[in-house]
Amino acid sequence: MNDIQIHSKITLMEIDVLQALYQRTLEKYTAGPSIDRARLFFLLLPFFDGKQWSEDVEDSAKTVAIVYAALQAHDQVKEESPISKSQQLTVLAGDFYSGIYYQMLSNTNNIKLIQLLASGIIGVSEKKATLFEKTAMSANDVESAAEVIETRLLTIFYDHYGYSHYKGIAVPAMKYVYYSNQLDYLRDGVETNILRKLNMALPFPLYSERWILDKLDSLHIELTKALDIHPMDYRLKNFMLHQITPHQHLAEQLTREG
Amino acid sequence: MEKVKLKLLYSDIRPELEMIEKELEVAVDSNSLLLNEASLHLLQAGGKRIRPVFVLLAGKFGDYNVDVMKQVAVPLELIHMASLVHDDVIDDSEMRRGQATVKAQWNNSVAMYTGDFILARALEYITVIEDPKIHDILSRTMIEVCRGEIIQIEDKFKLDQTVRDYLRRIKRKTALLISSSCELGATVSGTDAETAARLRRFGYFIGMAFQITDDILDFTSSDEELGKPAGSDFIQGNITLPVLFARRDPEIYSRLKNALGKDMTDTERMEIVKMIRSSPALQEAKALSDRYLDKALKELSYLPKGQANKTMRKIAMFIGKRKF
Repeated sequence: MNDIQIHSKITLMEIDVLQALYQRTLEKYTAGPSIDRARLFFLLLPFFDGKQWSEDVEDSAKTVAIVYAALQAHDQVKEESPISKSQQLTVLAGDFYSGIYYQMLSNTNNIKLIQLLASGIIGVSEKKATLFEKTAMSANDVESAAEVIETRLLTIFYDHYGYSHYKGIAVPAMKYVYYSNQLDYLRDGVETNILRKLNMALPFPLYSERWILDKLDSLHIELTKALDIHPMDYRLKNFMLHQITPHQHLAEQLTREG
Repeated sequence: MEKVKLKLLYSDIRPELEMIEKELEVAVDSNSLLLNEASLHLLQAGGKRIRPVFVLLAGKFGDYNVDVMKQVAVPLELIHMASLVHDDVIDDSEMRRGQATVKAQWNNSVAMYTGDFILARALEYITVIEDPKIHDILSRTMIEVCRGEIIQIEDKFKLDQTVRDYLRRIKRKTALLISSSCELGATVSGTDAETAARLRRFGYFIGMAFQITDDILDFTSSDEELGKPAGSDFIQGNITLPVLFARRDPEIYSRLKNALGKDMTDTERMEIVKMIRSSPALQEAKALSDRYLDKALKELSYLPKGQANKTMRKIAMFIGKRKF
């Protein structure tokens, strides 16, 4: 499968998910569902790698993308009072998307996956809430929270369909994408919940950027090693390394900036 | 006091309800201290537990097994709780049932995650049941309830909406979940299709009457009785049935139009409340609520007689007369 085919498949899935979540008022007043293409890539990874894949599995992959969209909608709710119409509808968008994922899986009688994803959402919500607790967190605690928030639902999907062997690749790669985004936020002066906790965990807030850059380096090494030993088509490996997790080493970044 | 009276009505299922109350406490137990505290805060604020009550009572028309019934009753209450915690963010409510809301006690984000957590617990709980029909009913209900709330936001501050718009909205917002509680209770206990359909319709009519009564009480009760300021619905731009009936008077229409969406002092708010109280609107709304109650009672009259039927009838009558 070449790059164009991979992109096309991701786009098709993106369109399907957007169609499943379409609601006139939500479309008009909210930012719309957040469908991350990197996540779609990892949900489709077994398919791209030629593993057994059916319509049911693909529908399940779509529902996982929907759950991510539901939870992400609620991440977008701000601390304003009173909240705007757009924010009110963002609250409902998350609930609406949850209803859609439940209905899609119940239509295919995939009760087990509903249960597994529900357990996953519980874990993710607990970790998100932890970031608001007054108790101090170490950088390791922050990292483990971020891992659950970002990868738990995907790994549930993999485990359920017997694709667990992709976790060694997908987990560091998704964490990589996550920290890249956090780095962008940090550089743009946006304080996310993870960044806030990280700043508190490190001796000086300025260390956060350095910490993330180090993390990106180590995740890149971990991913490269995992890919080296994985019997995956080299074009797929290249796609992942260059289009999903394009890496610039810390030393290069510092040279360029310095 | 009223809550106590309502609870007396279903004293014959009290042991089961106590069991469900304990199950709810277990269900909201979390590894996160914050979610634990927020969920318990919500749970301990109490509530009428009307959805579990209807699940249990509907189940009495079939092969009743409380261990099976609770698998539906608990998640339905959890879904209701999750929607309340999110609604408080939408409505910017500081108080509910006389207690600080989760969003007021903590913040919007914590309220979001608490709701997500409780909803997920509900789904985790109900998936013990494998019957696809149960999940079909519940998932459709969840989506429709959301659609109802979305429409409610769309219709906010629209004084010129129709009574039909209002009825369609409350059907989704309130009646469906009560209707589904009855249908799910009937289905899980294996009643025949006709009984399940009658119970579903009973729940729908009761739900409509319940919401109309709630909307009336928003004008007739005191701030203390409501645990929030009287007339809150109107202040938030929610156009309810009493307002729709009252606005037919051109003078009232003009005053409502001027007040809608503006910051009001307590005195101005109470003026609006008094104006609605002194109009015939509340009586008209009550008459419509009574029509739904009559329909509910008619459905009951076709169902097998017995204690459950009697209790459902008493609850229906209570809803028609409740003061807050």
